[in-house]
Amino acid sequence: MPAIASHNSIMAVKLENAGEVARSNGGSTPQKRRLRSDAAAVENMSPISTPMKLKSPRRCANSSPNSGANGIEMEINEKLMSARKSPVKKKLCDSFKSKPNWNPQDVEQMSAVREALHVSTAPSTIVCREDEQKKVLEFCKKNLEEEKAGSLYVCGCPGTGKSLSMEKVQHYLVDWAKEAGLQQPEVFSINCTSLTNTSEIFSKILLKLQPRKKLNGSTSPLQYLQNLYSQKLHSSVMKMMLIIADELDYLITRDRAVLHDLFMLTTFPFSRFILIGIANAIDLADRFLPRLQSMNCKPLVVTFRAYSKDQIIRILQERLMELPYIVFQPQALELCARKVAAASGDMRKALSVCRSAIEILEAEMRESVSKMNSASAEQGLFDQQAASAFEFFNSQANNFFLLLVRVDHMAVALSNTFKSPVVDTIKSLPQHQQILLCSAVKFFRGGKKDMTVGELNKSYMNICKTSVIPPVGTLEFFSMCRVLHDQGILKVGQSRDDKLKRVTLKADESDVTFALQGVRFFRNCLQ
Amino acid sequence: MGKENPAAEKASNLLRSRLCDPNFVVKHLSDSPDSNYSSVTEACNNSILLLGPRGSGKIAVLELILTDLLLEYPDTISVIKLNGLLHSDDCCAFKEIARQLCMEHQLLFSKMASFDDNSQFMIEMLRECGLAHKTIIFVLDEFDLFAQGKQRLLYSLLDAMQSVTSQAVVIGVSCRLDADQLLEKRVRSRFSHRKLLFLPPSKEDMQRLLEHILSLPVDSSLPHAYAVEFNKKIKNILADGRFKEIVNTLVNLDSTVNHLLRFLFLAVSYMDLESGFLSFENFKTALSNSHRQPKLECIKDCSILELYILVCMKRLEVKEQNSYNFNSVMKEYKSIHDSFQTSDYYSRNVCLRAFEHLLQRELICFTDNRGYSQSVEFRPVKLLISSIELHQGLKSYCSCPVILLKLVER
Repeated sequence: MPAIASHNSIMAVKLENAGEVARSNGGSTPQKRRLRSDAAAVENMSPISTPMKLKSPRRCANSSPNSGANGIEMEINEKLMSARKSPVKKKLCDSFKSKPNWNPQDVEQMSAVREALHVSTAPSTIVCREDEQKKVLEFCKKNLEEEKAGSLYVCGCPGTGKSLSMEKVQHYLVDWAKEAGLQQPEVFSINCTSLTNTSEIFSKILLKLQPRKKLNGSTSPLQYLQNLYSQKLHSSVMKMMLIIADELDYLITRDRAVLHDLFMLTTFPFSRFILIGIANAIDLADRFLPRLQSMNCKPLVVTFRAYSKDQIIRILQERLMELPYIVFQPQALELCARKVAAASGDMRKALSVCRSAIEILEAEMRESVSKMNSASAEQGLFDQQAASAFEFFNSQANNFFLLLVRVDHMAVALSNTFKSPVVDTIKSLPQHQQILLCSAVKFFRGGKKDMTVGELNKSYMNICKTSVIPPVGTLEFFSMCRVLHDQGILKVGQSRDDKLKRVTLKADESDVTFALQGVRFFRNCLQ
Repeated sequence: MGKENPAAEKASNLLRSRLCDPNFVVKHLSDSPDSNYSSVTEACNNSILLLGPRGSGKIAVLELILTDLLLEYPDTISVIKLNGLLHSDDCCAFKEIARQLCMEHQLLFSKMASFDDNSQFMIEMLRECGLAHKTIIFVLDEFDLFAQGKQRLLYSLLDAMQSVTSQAVVIGVSCRLDADQLLEKRVRSRFSHRKLLFLPPSKEDMQRLLEHILSLPVDSSLPHAYAVEFNKKIKNILADGRFKEIVNTLVNLDSTVNHLLRFLFLAVSYMDLESGFLSFENFKTALSNSHRQPKLECIKDCSILELYILVCMKRLEVKEQNSYNFNSVMKEYKSIHDSFQTSDYYSRNVCLRAFEHLLQRELICFTDNRGYSQSVEFRPVKLLISSIELHQGLKSYCSCPVILLKLVER
């Protein structure tokens, strides 16, 4: 927008174009018209597919200032054409038909969007996890009906929706039991990180089961529970209990007793537990519960796979569906989903990237507003035509893609999240520390594994000699090594004598070479 | 002269207090992370990591922002500060969190509370504060030390932020660039991957900063003419090429802001109170004093005999004799005397005394820690200064015998 504001002539032409487009399309609201024509244009031109290029819309707008009435339409078509076609996009286009763009300067809208994308807002329906939820529900329903005990193990990478799905399953189950007329199960959900002592889990279970029971000193809670479930008691006394244990691997101790006993509790003849354990390791059940397999009571394993690109897009859309306006350009969402799915399939990361993309857009708007204000202050006078054009643009601000979160915002957000700060830091290190790193890289290229500080010092002084830079003294050298160790670029071992400490390079050699390639001296040095 | 003295002293005091106050420097340089503001105003949970080398002003910027926030929203923020050096153990950490929360909200804190109680308390306080729309800001200093062990504290904090009921911000400060790689994957998944890198200022920023710090305010209690003259002189110095060289030497070693401030403090302390103006020589003295070489200074204080002994030991090392003791040094000393007919030949007892002096000054030391039963003459020794330092020391030694220099250079 500041670029447009500074060229009065271009603005005038654009005004005409916008007006002409509006008139030629029959006088209905320009925004709807344009989008439908865009969708139509995409369908017409679908056989032509160009590789995905990230062109900024501002550049497109300036590239043809004097084109005719179809100028703007052509530019927008170009933009849409340059993105790859996918079935998701058609759906997005349809959904976009009816919604206006958002106004990022409206504080309420901004906070609503932020909330919709926050990790803590649990959506009302969980998409893309229907299969897994069905499996778990079926298992629990079967066990509830038959009043049998059973165990289930849910595993998967972090951020795949395990705890969220289990919460939903819990609610469904209670409702279903009520409808089906069965006795409602007790629900006990615990996160195993909150236990100081792993065997406390049994006392907590007992507390939930029989709140008023006081144990005498000789029986531990575990023994009491084991006794309880070995005898047949009246069924009205014993309700079914659903235990959801999150982060199960915190229960793993050296002798693996607690985990084992917990799962064994479900194998007792009169046990009333349905145990659902949640953890990250896929083979936890095999590694730590071998005896259960021999008893034929191995827990059912439900794996939550990492999200694929389409699933991520669907989930993001679901979240944004409730908002009455569009926030993201569809290509931006796709880029985010693609990158996150390729990296880890972690939904939290995708949400965090989207939120930071919004913040980048916000910062850009603020900068452009302040630039415009300063530019107008500098100019002093504002053309009559320009002023009216400016107002027109402001009111029609919803029409422009400039206000959506675009692909370039998303690209910046992605690089902020995925990039490691090592390269930037190495680039901005003081010169002597860079020479130190250089000498370390050269040394380790020879295939040696580690060196002492004294050898590093010698190598450093050799490089300084070749380039006529006065080397620093030994004290400063040691403190430079220490500084680099603190930052995690070098690793300096322990020794009584400073000179004998062993040094290894922690940063990647290619990172160092990449970071220092801008300086000719280092480039020659590292060849 | 008498009239200028108080003004000069006042000026020097003002400059010195400015250099010690981190806020003054940071306000000029910083562009604050706005995510903190948004978390408070819009009540959404956030976590962020501030990374950067030591002394680059991370805590200073954080303090600045916290004071601003506390001024703007006095009742809705409470700040909990934890340090990785003190509280890396989970039990300690929870206890400290509980204690600080109690202090903030004027509750009684019991030292006997168990780990369970403390963690329950924290979760409940988070919920209460969330309901009351108060934000709790957790500042975790030395974040990488919290990532040792089972990372229970980090997990519970970051997990608490995933629930709708709590309203908190977690700010981690660390000097390790790979601090977030140290986290377990489930903790890392809950962390919001925002990192703010504190890089050292560029040359232009540094120039502006120097001018900003060293210029006296014109409209303060200092006499106007004096302040204007002072500022003019400072501008001249800053534009001088030699001054830029000094700053470059400084920055090539350590480019953090802290280092620069310490150098400026030294320079201001050397200010001549009689004339009341900073001069270029002040900066030069400050540079040489901030890059001290203690071993060189030691050598300057040595006697000629001690220098002889050091050179003998150097020659033995060059001849690749791996372990030598006082007797071998004496043999070498005698051989030098025989071949060069030097005038400094002392008896064995005097040499032994000089040898012991060198041991006390830690220019040489014994290589083994046992062998106290043996006398000084038989224990193996080694040099504690490098050949370059010895060479430099000899060169800068006034009235050093020429023979020594020749021997070392060979």
